[in-house]
Amino acid sequence: CSMADEEDFFLGEKRFKQHCEEFLKHSQQIGDGWEWRTSKDFGDGYLSKTHFQVRNRHIPPDLKEKTSDNIEQTLLAHVEESLDDSQVAGVCTTEEVIRYEYHVLYSSSYQVPVLYFRACFLDGRPLTLDEIWRSVHSCYQDRLLEGPWDTITQQEHPILGQPFFVLHPCRTNEFISAVLTGPWKHNRHKNYIILWLSTVGPVVGLSLPLSYAKVAPEQNS
Amino acid sequence: MTDDKDVLRDVWFGRIPTCFTLYQDEITEREAEPYYLLLPRISYLTLVTDKVKKHFQKVMRQEEVSEIWFEYEGTPLKWHYPIGLLFDLHASNTALPWSITVHFKNFPEKDLLHCHSKDVIEAHFMACIKEADALKHKSQVINEMQKKDHKQLWMGLQNDKFEQFWAINRKLMEYPSEDNGFRYIPFRIYQATTERPFIQKLFRPIASGGQLHTLGDLLKDVCPSAITPEDGEQKTQVMIHGIEPMLETPIQWLSEHMSYPDNFLHISIIPRPTD
Repeated sequence: CSMADEEDFFLGEKRFKQHCEEFLKHSQQIGDGWEWRTSKDFGDGYLSKTHFQVRNRHIPPDLKEKTSDNIEQTLLAHVEESLDDSQVAGVCTTEEVIRYEYHVLYSSSYQVPVLYFRACFLDGRPLTLDEIWRSVHSCYQDRLLEGPWDTITQQEHPILGQPFFVLHPCRTNEFISAVLTGPWKHNRHKNYIILWLSTVGPVVGLSLPLSYAKVAPEQNS
Repeated sequence: MTDDKDVLRDVWFGRIPTCFTLYQDEITEREAEPYYLLLPRISYLTLVTDKVKKHFQKVMRQEEVSEIWFEYEGTPLKWHYPIGLLFDLHASNTALPWSITVHFKNFPEKDLLHCHSKDVIEAHFMACIKEADALKHKSQVINEMQKKDHKQLWMGLQNDKFEQFWAINRKLMEYPSEDNGFRYIPFRIYQATTERPFIQKLFRPIASGGQLHTLGDLLKDVCPSAITPEDGEQKTQVMIHGIEPMLETPIQWLSEHMSYPDNFLHISIIPRPTD
């Protein structure tokens, strides 16, 4: 059934899968580590990627006074490196290694992709919502402080049934339309997943190598 | 119709008699007596169990107490599911009172969401309402409301105020006169036997020819195993708020009258008792 109006930049489920396929192809070409996981009993699926981040141990005891200045100064330094399992052991004496797992699922309610993620230390201890909020990149802290409950919260993964953190999808259409209208109309035939993930991913420590920008869209018949 | 309004009240005021017992391995200074409570079907465990927490904390040492969580026969209970759904899904064909075990240690990180404050429950509740309205009205009705209206929905639930809640919720149950129902029906179907926590799909209440889709139509489309009898015997029950609605019931009517306060129809598929 057709559900998208011209003004709405909603992503139908079929197009979501097509764009994920295209995205995966490029990921495989450059070894970016994404894979597709299918749900056992249902046939729908999601994109998945795991990577490790190293961060310095400068965690202030109390971040309760949350002015923008404070956050700028006291934010954890992010050093992003992709490490193999084989490299992780023995690297960190004064640093902590955090394992991040990112999933891209489709929301039929909002007709947009949604980013789920979870993070834990190597000993298995999961990061708390507070630790996640604090590790959000400094340039997004203002938005987050306005309404943390609107942005990143803990939710049940709709396919795995386990707790994950989620970047709320209800505003996705807002900013995606900004990228697809007026002077940016030419973006409409580009890969939705790449456009979307390159915008939301950095908020939670996930970046896309620049070569994704060059992904040429499939010609649809 | 008077009958229809009665349904709204019956749903709101449904209660489950429950017996809370402290987990035997929790360290106490005195013996912990069980605590009995009538739980509202439409609410959430962590919203209505302050008295339970206080009762058991009285016999425990401060250091032994961290985040409370609940379990039924070894299964951690998801506080973010409405109480009535949890009962129908896990315990509906067992003897009352419902026996729930209370824990204060070893929070099951892999199974349960954290719930450190009422704000978390409110955020979850409002997120469900917003998602339901995205399906019913492309979010138009919820977005047109003021913040104080959103607050009133939450306060109505928190304080068990039917009139206060429905003064606002009735707007979420309306639809344009030219249509015969919502755009899509907000529903989730749960089966304790599957790994997947629930099934949720787009489903229109009105067929292209204008006929009203029924509960049976929904199940046939989304979860056919629930209603096709194996060996001629119906092995499962389809349960909402503790009852089995007729499969011929229009899904639009069910959505308007038997949704939970989060505006979702939470439907349980459970094994039929063999007595």
